[in-house]
Amino acid sequence: MTPQKRLMVPLSLFAASAVLLSGCAIDTGNSSTPTGEAQKGGILKVGSNGDNDHLDPALTSYVPTQNFIRATNRQLLSYEASTDENTRIQVKADLAEEVPEATNGGKTYTFTIKEGANWDAADGPRQIVAEDVVRGFKRLCNPYRSSPLLGYFQTLLTGMDEYCAGFAKIEAKPEPMAKYINSAKLPGVRAVDERTVEFNLKEPAGDFIYMLTLATATPAPEEVLDYLPDSPEYRENFVASGPYTVEEYTADKSLKLVRNEAWKPETDTLRKANVDSIEMTMGLSADAVTQQLQAGTLDMSFDTGLAPSVAAQLAAAKDPDFSTVDAGSVNPFLWINVDSPSNDGALADKKVREAIQYATDKASVVQTLGGEAVAKVQNGIFGPGVLGYHDFDLYPTEGHKGDPEKAKKLLAEAGYPDGITLKMPYRNKDIEPQIAQTLQAGFEKAGIKIELIPVSPTDYYTEFLVNREETKAGKWDIAPMGWSPDWQGGAARSVFQPLFTYNGTESTYNLTNYDNKEADKLAAKAVQEPDAAKAQELWAQVDEIVMGDSIIVPVAAPTTRLYHSKRVQNFQPYALATQGDWTNVWVQD
Amino acid sequence: MSAHTLTPAAATAAPEVKQRSSLRMTVDYLLKDRASLIAASFLVLLVLFALAAPLLAGITGHPANDQFRETGLTPAGVPVGPGTEFWLGADQLGRDVLVRLAYGARVSLIVGVVASLAAASIGIMVGMVAGYFGGKVDTVLSRCIDLVMSVPFLLAALALVSVLGASLPLSVGVIVFFSWTSLARVIRGQVIALRQREFVEAARSLGAGHWGIIFRDILPNLAAPIIIYATLMIPSSIVFEATLSFLGMGIVPPDASWGGMLAEASGNSIYLTAWWLVLFPGLALLFTTLAFNVLGDGLRDALDPRTRRKAK
Repeated sequence: MTPQKRLMVPLSLFAASAVLLSGCAIDTGNSSTPTGEAQKGGILKVGSNGDNDHLDPALTSYVPTQNFIRATNRQLLSYEASTDENTRIQVKADLAEEVPEATNGGKTYTFTIKEGANWDAADGPRQIVAEDVVRGFKRLCNPYRSSPLLGYFQTLLTGMDEYCAGFAKIEAKPEPMAKYINSAKLPGVRAVDERTVEFNLKEPAGDFIYMLTLATATPAPEEVLDYLPDSPEYRENFVASGPYTVEEYTADKSLKLVRNEAWKPETDTLRKANVDSIEMTMGLSADAVTQQLQAGTLDMSFDTGLAPSVAAQLAAAKDPDFSTVDAGSVNPFLWINVDSPSNDGALADKKVREAIQYATDKASVVQTLGGEAVAKVQNGIFGPGVLGYHDFDLYPTEGHKGDPEKAKKLLAEAGYPDGITLKMPYRNKDIEPQIAQTLQAGFEKAGIKIELIPVSPTDYYTEFLVNREETKAGKWDIAPMGWSPDWQGGAARSVFQPLFTYNGTESTYNLTNYDNKEADKLAAKAVQEPDAAKAQELWAQVDEIVMGDSIIVPVAAPTTRLYHSKRVQNFQPYALATQGDWTNVWVQD
Repeated sequence: MSAHTLTPAAATAAPEVKQRSSLRMTVDYLLKDRASLIAASFLVLLVLFALAAPLLAGITGHPANDQFRETGLTPAGVPVGPGTEFWLGADQLGRDVLVRLAYGARVSLIVGVVASLAAASIGIMVGMVAGYFGGKVDTVLSRCIDLVMSVPFLLAALALVSVLGASLPLSVGVIVFFSWTSLARVIRGQVIALRQREFVEAARSLGAGHWGIIFRDILPNLAAPIIIYATLMIPSSIVFEATLSFLGMGIVPPDASWGGMLAEASGNSIYLTAWWLVLFPGLALLFTTLAFNVLGDGLRDALDPRTRRKAK
């Protein structure tokens, strides 16, 4: 529940944090609006606590890394960095000449790659071709290290299951892997001619074009087959397609990007590449980054957030360098353990779960998160900006402060007139202990006693939440979590499928195997719906059905708090990084 | 250490000389030592402060764990500073820092005193047995001491608390487990010297059993090192508890502890805007450990004239 963490990847790890791959709504007047003419040159200094998770776009699943990918790699489709929420989440052509319409009943997409879009190859600039796109997808399920977002593409692309099953049998060494990639067919992605690539889906998917904006969908040059994915050799021989390339890199210490001479600005409408170089210094604490931004010795932050108290001060002072981005996450929400034997299995009773809904003091949690300038009350499973998000509240209370009396009444009706005691673990990290105590104080007013269990961050999911034995044994009764969609806009699938579907096989983050066939049916229709307005309506229904079952208590939707030095001009957030776009800012001394 | 006695003849010859007990001499020395006096006064005040915690909560109208979100926080969640409503300011959840400081003092004192007494008891027992019996018993117990001393205590403590779950008794248990060894070593050394002394031989020749000798003859002669070491163990225990709480593995929220208060102030960088959240618990921790250390030094000087001479 803190800013700048891993992506909420349903098929991999890390389900709780506040940085998201989705974003909309930016507010507070800020210096994002360019002052005067764009200036070329200068160094953009970026401060960071940690490093990029990977330099190989196929493997990255870390939100801050998206800015690195944006600067060094291009995808067929991408987004325009913008302070306008609608502009920011519209899919735009990047390597592709245009955003295509689906054909073949919504199952085929055909792209033409722009002429002059080049790789920065060792032997000189080389046109990016359709085979590079195919290669990019073929690498995703390599036996050495597969992509964390592979699942989405495997579900959709024709023949990807079979292709990946074959790849799993190959030895995890560069040579056999390259041989397999070059020989095995992947019918779902086909190079029609040198610059035309065709995607064939198993079923229509209205959100497929959004998925193509992900780093996972980045084309791969032929050179990458000589190395293991993201190996030291890969990093040493990094081949860029974006406006910048890696000049120096020391893991966990520093990264320097310089201009990629093979990149042609006329082929790229999304990146202006104003600064000459980008220098990233790692190993700084969040407070140190904030102080250096204020002092002007750094320009932008990479993975560190702005403390709520500092953000509140900057917002109150209307600091033009401070802004927020709605990011689509729901964090925290409380998962109710219906399998818990605590209180004689009280949580299996919907009335008790509804009492918990009414007892939750969401307004106080928003206040703890830094107030309404940086977080909003959340009532549904989809966060702001995700298709399906809409303003509704099945358990309304005045000012979202909770209704202890109603909760007590429901508990009494359910046979618990003296209240219940619930075990609530929380991650012992950042603001999470305070959120847990805020929730506890609210629940106690309604006669729900909360036993807080501090858990180390590394154990929180593995030892508690996703451990089914612990869940069934009632080691926890309600647990705060966070979830963010994996891409922009039409991203409801990446929330609903991993959290709220169950097909007989346990899904890691559907903690209690929640299953509602009606919701599943509507969701299946929604993912195939090409019309965004209709899809929105369907997802909204899904949201209400899930909330009707009262399996989770959504509490808040935090925004991402952004801050930069006074030198930085044209600070336009890039949706996938929920941070100012390195490739469009300029610096002014 | 033998008792100071004066023959009746000497007493008659020098009536101006008054007999002073060890306790009297120690108290007299401490009363002359200004640093010890200030430290002791501070600790008395601290105990009163801790005892008065419910009273403070009543006077201010702010129970320790109650969140005053309307008066203690701005709508943006920034706590209000020291003032008439919250004398030492409010914390990040709108709770009264003064009241929580008082309840935190209870935790620190309980942990400090209880853990030190328990650790001292174990240390004394092990040290006496090892020193008195010697031989294989000494070898085994001494290796046990070495073993505990060689464990990286913070890591082991965190691991234990992670596995068993954080709680006050567990914190005390962990502190005791890692604190008894130094006293055990000192006591062992002292007992090895004492067991050769004439009064022990005398007791043995009069038919006293081992345990009688240990408790009746040797233990009283260990009073000085025990008092000194136990006093010096208290601040270590307080800091240890604060460290565990700071790392989120000590006192479980919302109960107050100084380490927990510092952790909450730093965990969310709130200290950047609310200095009082760091300053007051920090000062409380600093002065309390300082006071116990100064008092421990004073006691050592008072009880052991040899170190006093060196120190002076």
